[in-house]
Amino acid sequence: MTAPPIARRATVAAPAVKRSIVPYRLQRTLLRVAGIALLAVVLIAALFPVYFMGITAFHPPSLSFARTPTLFSTDLTLKAFRDLFRQYPFMLWMRNTLVVAGFSTVLSVAFATFAAYSLSRLRFKGRGFASSAVFLVYLFPSTLLFIPIFILCSDLHLLDQLPALIAVYLTFSIPFSVWMLKAYFLNIPMELEDAALVDGATRWQCMTRVVLPLATPGIAAASIYCFTLSWNEYLYAFTLLSDGEKFTLAPGMTKLIFGDVFLWGMIMAGGLLMSVPILLLYFCAQRFLVAGLTAGAVKG
Amino acid sequence: MATRSATIPEVVPEPRRAHLAKARTDANFAYMLLAPTAFLITVLVGYPFVRALWLSFHKKLLGAQDAPWIGLANYGVLLHDPKFWGSVKNVFIFTGGSVAIKLVLGTLIALILNEALPWRGLWRSIVLLPYAMPTLVSVLIWKWMYNDTAGVLNYLLQQTHIRDSPLLWLSDPGSAMGAVIAVNVWRGFPFFVITLLAGLQAVPQDLYEAAKVDGAGVWSRFWKVTFPGILPVMAVVTLFSTILTFNDFSIIWVLTKGGPGNSTDVLSTLTYKIAIPGLELGKGVAVSVLMLPILVLLIVLLNRFINRREELA
Repeated sequence: MTAPPIARRATVAAPAVKRSIVPYRLQRTLLRVAGIALLAVVLIAALFPVYFMGITAFHPPSLSFARTPTLFSTDLTLKAFRDLFRQYPFMLWMRNTLVVAGFSTVLSVAFATFAAYSLSRLRFKGRGFASSAVFLVYLFPSTLLFIPIFILCSDLHLLDQLPALIAVYLTFSIPFSVWMLKAYFLNIPMELEDAALVDGATRWQCMTRVVLPLATPGIAAASIYCFTLSWNEYLYAFTLLSDGEKFTLAPGMTKLIFGDVFLWGMIMAGGLLMSVPILLLYFCAQRFLVAGLTAGAVKG
Repeated sequence: MATRSATIPEVVPEPRRAHLAKARTDANFAYMLLAPTAFLITVLVGYPFVRALWLSFHKKLLGAQDAPWIGLANYGVLLHDPKFWGSVKNVFIFTGGSVAIKLVLGTLIALILNEALPWRGLWRSIVLLPYAMPTLVSVLIWKWMYNDTAGVLNYLLQQTHIRDSPLLWLSDPGSAMGAVIAVNVWRGFPFFVITLLAGLQAVPQDLYEAAKVDGAGVWSRFWKVTFPGILPVMAVVTLFSTILTFNDFSIIWVLTKGGPGNSTDVLSTLTYKIAIPGLELGKGVAVSVLMLPILVLLIVLLNRFINRREELA
């Protein structure tokens, strides 16, 4: 943000003090050119796969008999989308995903808000332990847990049950939200609450009237991340669901892979539909998300 | 005088008592708020975790009712299995390679985006795109781009005459690991960019001014001011990414299923392969249990690091 004035001052001050082998201005210009070139390459690399998904979805390989991939075409069609809806219950998968992601997000953010307030604001015995335990669970590998969870669900006849999947998703979404919200709450000045306490507010009132309203962006960010995590989750959905009617999008998408070239149009059409809601969420709430994400890592 | 000395001893303990009482209700309130989360984590993570450890000492087959206790046999078999050691080697190559490239690329892009550029906001949003895409979808796109015969990467390579014959990206053991790492880097580097950008903005500007007055060049300014300034953030992000990459399952599973042969098998895919298609649930769990020592070490390290910084703040 504050870079330009300093850069301008530098070009005046630096050469006078120390003469390096390459003049300072030239050094800067060269670096700038190299930097912009690298940025351009990275931007193209970031955009191209997404563009290519779009062109494959709207101009599926089955349209052209050529064995070369289509990089650009004005001959666009909705055929891949029509095939997808006709041959697979794609909208049902989307609805299932929405239900699972929605419920697990609401539940985990609600529980996590209380837990995070407790861990960031109140002093009690075992706080350090609880805090570390949540963190450990957050980074715990799902490859270790999916097998016992699969056996449990199968013993309890909970396979192919969306409520069971919602509960399983709490295993990662609760610790994740607690961790993120805790970092966010720590950024809200304690003095505000102390002032409220002096004025005779109870802790509950401090939390609901002072801290939570200020933490709304953080809660929004945690909710969006939770929703995204559940929307994208693959391993649990893949092992716990086997009935095509109960599929969420992730296992549904893998049903489209037969290694056959002609299905790529449909896969990319499905991928596009799976990405659009998440991308919209991300880019509408980009500022919150960046603030939420960096609260934990950058503070201090 | 007398009345004053009489009142003082009574007045002093009162706020202390009130303070203690407040601390006690605070603690009760804290436990109350924490209870639902503690309960759910115990039931949903704690119990399955104990069950997983228990399972690893049994010969539990998928679909079988009885699971005889076999002690450490699952572990013994694994430790003598070259496939297991191959996966250990691969998970280190995959994690080390991915994280190193993500760190360097992420730092460079963050430095560039921290400069005054026209339309900087737009470039930042585009850099964020791979991170925002659902992993499964981006992996499927890459699988399609890597396609041996109809894939766009081979098409571009041949059109530009960089290569004459198609490169078998995912089906050649020599290139499969590199191809898998590339996808992980593509997906993960924006995380480094976002956090490091925030870190760069937290570096005190007067340090740059001072360096400039001292006539420091671009290079020494980076190593003397910028780098020490963002080092703590770098350490946190790198550890985070290391843990998440070490645990990653879906990128490798969807791209190669650990193949060709076992050339891209990591511990997570080996767990799945042994447990589900291989039907040996107990042995599969044992693979993941063997991941734990390193993983817990990394998590504890990261936790310490973050806690120390929170105390400083």
